[in-house]
Amino acid sequence: MSTTTPPQPSAAANPPQAAPPSDVVTLTIDGQQVSVPKGTNVLEAAKLLGIDISAFCYHPGLPIVAQCRQCLVSVEKNPKLQPSCQQVVGEGMVVHTTDKQSTLARAQQLEFTLVNHPIDCPICDKAGECTLQKLYFEHDNADSRVDTPKVHKAKAVDLGPTIVLDQERCILCSRCIRTCDHTSGQHQLEFANRGDHEILTTAPGEQLDNPYSLNTVDVCPVGALTAKDFRFTMRAWELDATPSVCNGCATGCNIEIHHKNGRAWRLVPRHNAKVNDYWMCDEGRFTYHDLREERLAGAVVDGLPAGWDRSIKAAADRLAVGRTAGQFAVALSALHCNEDNFALAKLAQSWGVTQIYIAAKPQVPARADGRLRVADINPNLNGVKAIAEALGMTTKPVYELDGNIRGLLALGDVLPGLDPGKLKDLEYVALAAHERGPVPHAKVALPVSDWAEVSGTVTNKDGYVQRMHAAFGPPGQAIPAWEAIVRLAGATGSNLKWTHPREVFKDMVAAVPGWNSLTWARDARPLSLRFAGSRG
Amino acid sequence: MATDAHSLKQLVLGRKDVQDLSDNENELPPDLMTVNMGPSHPAMHGTVRIVLTVDGEKVVKSDVQPGYLHRCFEKESEYATYTQIFPYTDRLNYVSPMINNCGWAMAVEKLMGLTHEIPKRAEYIRVIVSEMSRMTDHLTCVGASAMELGAFGPFLFFLKSREWLYTLLETISGARLTHTYVRVGGVNKDLPEELPAKLAHTLDQIEKVMVEVEGLLNNNKIFRDRMAGIGAMTKEDAIATGCVGPIARACGVDYDVRKDYPYSVYPELEFDVPVGTTGDCLDRYLVRIEELKQCIRILRQCLKQIPDGPVVVADPRVTLPPKTATYNTIESMIRHFKHIVDGIKVPAGEAYTFVEGGNGELGFYIVADGTGRPYKAYCRSPSFVHLSTAGQLIHGHLIADIVPIFGMINMIGGECDK
Amino acid sequence: MSQKVLDALKAAHGSAVDRTATAHTDDIAWIKRDLLLGVAAWLKNDPAMAFDAPVFVTATDWLDWKPLNQPPSMAWTEDKPRFTVAYQLRSSKHRHRVRLEIELTEADPRCPSLSGLWPAFNWQERETFDMYGIRFDGHPDLRRIYLYEEFVGYPLRKDYPKDKRQPLVRRDDLPMNPIKADRHEGTK
Repeated sequence: MSTTTPPQPSAAANPPQAAPPSDVVTLTIDGQQVSVPKGTNVLEAAKLLGIDISAFCYHPGLPIVAQCRQCLVSVEKNPKLQPSCQQVVGEGMVVHTTDKQSTLARAQQLEFTLVNHPIDCPICDKAGECTLQKLYFEHDNADSRVDTPKVHKAKAVDLGPTIVLDQERCILCSRCIRTCDHTSGQHQLEFANRGDHEILTTAPGEQLDNPYSLNTVDVCPVGALTAKDFRFTMRAWELDATPSVCNGCATGCNIEIHHKNGRAWRLVPRHNAKVNDYWMCDEGRFTYHDLREERLAGAVVDGLPAGWDRSIKAAADRLAVGRTAGQFAVALSALHCNEDNFALAKLAQSWGVTQIYIAAKPQVPARADGRLRVADINPNLNGVKAIAEALGMTTKPVYELDGNIRGLLALGDVLPGLDPGKLKDLEYVALAAHERGPVPHAKVALPVSDWAEVSGTVTNKDGYVQRMHAAFGPPGQAIPAWEAIVRLAGATGSNLKWTHPREVFKDMVAAVPGWNSLTWARDARPLSLRFAGSRG
Repeated sequence: MATDAHSLKQLVLGRKDVQDLSDNENELPPDLMTVNMGPSHPAMHGTVRIVLTVDGEKVVKSDVQPGYLHRCFEKESEYATYTQIFPYTDRLNYVSPMINNCGWAMAVEKLMGLTHEIPKRAEYIRVIVSEMSRMTDHLTCVGASAMELGAFGPFLFFLKSREWLYTLLETISGARLTHTYVRVGGVNKDLPEELPAKLAHTLDQIEKVMVEVEGLLNNNKIFRDRMAGIGAMTKEDAIATGCVGPIARACGVDYDVRKDYPYSVYPELEFDVPVGTTGDCLDRYLVRIEELKQCIRILRQCLKQIPDGPVVVADPRVTLPPKTATYNTIESMIRHFKHIVDGIKVPAGEAYTFVEGGNGELGFYIVADGTGRPYKAYCRSPSFVHLSTAGQLIHGHLIADIVPIFGMINMIGGECDK
Repeated sequence: MSQKVLDALKAAHGSAVDRTATAHTDDIAWIKRDLLLGVAAWLKNDPAMAFDAPVFVTATDWLDWKPLNQPPSMAWTEDKPRFTVAYQLRSSKHRHRVRLEIELTEADPRCPSLSGLWPAFNWQERETFDMYGIRFDGHPDLRRIYLYEEFVGYPLRKDYPKDKRQPLVRRDDLPMNPIKADRHEGTK
């Protein structure tokens, strides 16, 4: 695989002093040349060539400790094997990973690691996505040579409110210790004892209870740390992964939804250097539970189930009451994606609305910790504001609803500041995914998709517009909110002709300044974890 | 009663109104008639539909429509590991399943570079079960075709012979038809101890049955009248339309994958390849009868020459560890686990591997991407290609000739529709 | 199997050949779509080539191509062609084999039909059209072969989910059991 090196200044053009240092380094790994930015380690350089040098303790988001000695390679002119995660690339360096010495070293390191490893695969949560399994199979695959009893340690240690530790499975790579320190700033995990009695344990007087604790489960290469929320619920190789964005707060950590058969089983972070690096908070991870709570699966008209045609007609009739009198309001939702809000705003615009309301959850100042968690727990407040502004509308929070409003069309199931008594008097039409909060008081409730079922975008606190992909379809008769809005538009004489969220997106980014250069990525197909080469 | 005939005529004559026909016309409609044959028809082995346009009894135009047994083999294969695909291959040409198994195993081995590492005993076992499967294929084809022409005796005799072979295959693999016996790197388990003796005895018995059946059919006037000169194809046509196997050989094309692109241990075995002349149904029948005799010849040699040894290659990338090790050491536990869950990891690449199936060149074109499941697994099925010639073959013949032509093409629905 | 087929091909039709490869005993040549008919005719008629036997034609959808243990740059990206149509040919005289591969983009998945040269490709091109949506220009009867006419989509494409349901098809133009219905009336 050849890569180009940057052009060097010619001798005549520059005086014969030292040329400005190039920040690209070229080295040779297994006979192939590769050019990487200065400061890269050999392990990462090899990945660019498709060479997988096994490693346990190395993680690109954590400080390098070279503790596991799994990534040893031969570097020419160096008599000892070097850990490639710690070895910084040098110009003209020649590295070998397929020579006998380093291959044997890596295979033997795996053998050492497995000497005391319990035969837990059938009952271990990590099985199927275990780095130890993967590396053993690809870099060792030799039979056991020892016949001695294994060293026993504690099997199900309660480390804190979210995590269970199995000390026997731990391979002492220290990723969790570094992760805990790095993500939460609190030192809550430590190693204790020595030799083959060394164990992972909590720091003196501490529990593993920081709000970023579950990141340690992600980084653990084996099944030593398991999440209480996920353990024994679903096998990793059954899951499909769909990329999306966490809807827990305005940070918008990039995530993967791990799902099977139309149901989400866990959320894990996806790498995004600009937003969340490799991490996410525990609260965000639990937001998948809500997807199955009190879902509105069919339209409800006056408290009784109805089909789509009848409910759309009923909604149009109800809204006409307020519209003819000029006393109706439309509320966008900071909990719904940009496309849903844009569709609703366009519909409102076609009805002559110039002032639109925004329904958003109140801020939680206690959450803001200067790391990933912020006070704003709405995933899309910035997006909604940008859309309203682009369409020339003024905005007001929904708790400042005008007193003489007779009709209300609201997206979402959160209308803070509006008590049920007031809602019952209004001709309130809800476009909601859950039947809770204000939605049971709606005259007409139209079921829509929740965030994990949506193919759309949300805008985070820094103005990044991030794409969510739908992991599965909505339950029952629910459809994406923008589609329900198109149907409603048809029944009320407005003309919204979209048939795909891509089309909504196209009109939206053309209308909103600052979003003009955004493009719609192809819908992500679910990636089967079983064949993805293991996450670990 | 009159009402019945009226509605029947209306259905058959299509849009023509019966009342408008004169008395003469009422009896013999001169127009071309569109008749539907299949998909649920005893002579359409395995659900094929032919929309025939006939002039009286003569076929003027035909539209052969396969696909009623399409079970998405290729799409399903993209979601299953290489070992999980073996049961799917059983159900391709389901009268000679072992050959499909072997073809798939060889295709994966080619991509892994293991073709020459397979132990000798495993190769011989593969040849033995393949030839037994080829015999079941030809016995079924000839037996069923004879029955469709009215010869019920040969059908029962050949099915009885086939049953002996199925019983033996059941002792080998555990199932009569859906064996899933072959694995990447060898076979699942060794042959049972008493198999060589039983197989030798069965072959002797089958030879005797074949003498009887040949005596009943070869010089039988009815059989010859129905088969000779029917459905003939020239040699050039056969090659250009992609025909392979007994159909091509009956036309005079001397092509047998075992001889022309030898694989496995076929180079060490002596056998002849029967080649016909006219390419009509009778030649196809004769080629198959002769091939049965050659299969018996090959099997007898295998039984004599088969060496001892392991039945699967000792490569940890490909083979499961022994159970005692799996349950007692973490290394073997992990290896077993990765084999089952991840599948055999085949390095990225593409290859086309083909074997001599019951119907000719059966090939698998696999595109691998380094994971344990194929990125694309295409099956080149000979039955599909042969069915495409059926329209041309039945043209100008009587409806009654469709039966022997179809029978002798040996269109296996599972292989054709995949 | 024989590099000389690829060499001869490059010598006679160098401008049509993008690249060649020999791997796992297969000879493969990537041919430019617009020059395919000329190359195919030459392969059939040239006495040293004499590729008279068609083996198969199929297509590959590279949309999800992300090979393991290969540089990340080998994965498919939107700027690379999405489909490859593969024609496998054999010579019954010389016993050599070759595979022609033609790269097609998603926006323009059309390929010249070789069914005029080798009739076996007639049905197999229909199968490729059925499964991948590749249109073969010059094919006499390009319609679905395995699936029914009202089927929506191309199932072997990688963005067609395996468990996707199809709309049910009503055929109000066909009578429901006419003979049976009549027999009730006509029974004496």
